[in-house]
Amino acid sequence: MRLLHNYHYAAAMILFCLGLYTVIVRRNIIKKLIGLNIMETSVFFFYISLGYLDGGIAPIRTGGADPSRMVNPIPQALILTGIVVAVSVTALALSMVILLYRQYGTLDVDRLMREEEPEAAESGKGD
Amino acid sequence: MGAWRHFPIFMITVPLLGAVLLPFLGYVRERWVPYAALLPLGTSTLLGILLIGRIPSDGYLSYHMGGWEPPFGIEIRLDYVGLFLMLVVCGITFLALVYSRHYIEKEVSGGRRTAYYVLYLLMSGAMLGFVATGDIFNLFVFMEILALSSYALVAITGNRNAVRAAFKYILMGAPSSIMVLLAIGFLYSVTGTLNMADLAGRIAESGYTEVLIVSYILLVVGFGVKAALFPLHMWLPDAHSIAPSPISALLSGLLVEVCAFALVRITFSIFTLRASDLVMGTADAVGVAAAAAVLYGGIMAILQKDLKMMIAYSTVSHIGYIFLGLTAFTAEGLTGAMYHMLDHGLAKACLFLCAGNFIYLKGYRRIEDLKGAWSQMPWTCFAFALASLSVIGIPPTAGFISKWYLILGNVEGGKWLYAAVLLAGSILAAVYCLRVLYYMFFQAGKEGAWEEYWHDAPPAMLAPVWALSLATLFFGVFSSLLIPSLLKAATYLL
Repeated sequence: MRLLHNYHYAAAMILFCLGLYTVIVRRNIIKKLIGLNIMETSVFFFYISLGYLDGGIAPIRTGGADPSRMVNPIPQALILTGIVVAVSVTALALSMVILLYRQYGTLDVDRLMREEEPEAAESGKGD
Repeated sequence: MGAWRHFPIFMITVPLLGAVLLPFLGYVRERWVPYAALLPLGTSTLLGILLIGRIPSDGYLSYHMGGWEPPFGIEIRLDYVGLFLMLVVCGITFLALVYSRHYIEKEVSGGRRTAYYVLYLLMSGAMLGFVATGDIFNLFVFMEILALSSYALVAITGNRNAVRAAFKYILMGAPSSIMVLLAIGFLYSVTGTLNMADLAGRIAESGYTEVLIVSYILLVVGFGVKAALFPLHMWLPDAHSIAPSPISALLSGLLVEVCAFALVRITFSIFTLRASDLVMGTADAVGVAAAAAVLYGGIMAILQKDLKMMIAYSTVSHIGYIFLGLTAFTAEGLTGAMYHMLDHGLAKACLFLCAGNFIYLKGYRRIEDLKGAWSQMPWTCFAFALASLSVIGIPPTAGFISKWYLILGNVEGGKWLYAAVLLAGSILAAVYCLRVLYYMFFQAGKEGAWEEYWHDAPPAMLAPVWALSLATLFFGVFSSLLIPSLLKAATYLL
């Protein structure tokens, strides 16, 4: 019954694990980033569901509104910051994907990492 | 008057504000940017120095943002250890910035130079905030500013390897940040507060539930990635060795340490019950990982052919040292860990900047190329030697003091095996450092490897290197300046 009652938490955790799985297992960089975004979204979802109240009202204390029906604003405020952070990380990562694709011509992580390993120590000066 | 009460917040915001204003200057007069960037960091250093002695040695300075009382508003909490670390951050970032001007002119192409200084200031400000904040969500935000600017700084040269290293860093860093965010959500969901001190009180009240255990483990893993604790260190060698040298110095000398420090604060000031199975069980696991890190990092450093790669692996090993000091749970171990943060920051920054000197002048990265370097670049080589001694832990340097306390702490905690591992790590460090010194001082260079005329790096690059290496000597000889207060602070934490 507790699980049924807290189904939104379970959903967030399933999404989180799916995202992490995608980040770890997929070889395509874009898919990894999509996994990253799924992870982030699951955390946002978790935060928002913390503050959610069925039939809740905005937390503005005027006209004798009932405080017990007010939605908790803190998780929403926090996650707004979280979303900004996530967007910046994604934007930076995507810009690096463009650079990587220009220079290596592939988005496959295995190939990317394998291709360079032996000469990584050699080059680096210049190029 | 109490103007100094506002200094902690100014120390954090001045570099951040500088980062906002610098692009405008860069638009008008790009040549002035390297000098202008010194101003905010210098101000922060000055404010930090003025704060010395203002903080009660067994307590803390609490600053309420916007005048709101702590559990509701954001609090900045600066205890003695925090101020100590902030000063270390200020000092090293300032010196590496002085160093940056020549190096960046050579390594980074025109349009990106202003961006470099902007990101640099962002990173410094974020590190200062990260150390000082008393609010766990703020900790996350500062960590993200720190992480984003460091991802970008690793890639700033834009060449193939740099972008690849930075991307590897993002792929490990971003999920770890999300784990920390999730853990904060868990903590908030069961306690309803974000203030660290308040959290500690409520957790002590409610006892440990499964949610708290999960969130603690998520925090350890999340910060473990950022601090490059052994199995999670994959991103470190590439990122630290390929970044421009001043950035390597900051990443290796400060960033990983600051993240380790965050974990210390979380362990000691939030999950305070040190006897509980939760913290102790995790501490055992972290201890094993740290011991493995000491040995693995040392051995990998010996196997490297690339100088910066070697120094980067040495960092993996030294993060192990710091964590072994923390998991000893004795005042001496904790003091050793704190002192090691200082000593490792100075020595590692110095080593990376020296390596930067070789790259700047000759483009030499391989250790073999350094044969006979002494005859042409004596100043750089002597500074390198001094910092190496500190990394190994030879008596007059600070490295000796910190390792002494680390081993003492582990012996007092009854952890003889870890004490042995610490000693073995020092022997490994001696092997990889002395090899480089041997090449530098006692081998003849290849024909034509070093030009005939005598030259060394420009003064603006030598001065920071020497300041850092002399600082390791200074804090080794005058360790009594800091050790008693650190011991007191450590007993207070426990």
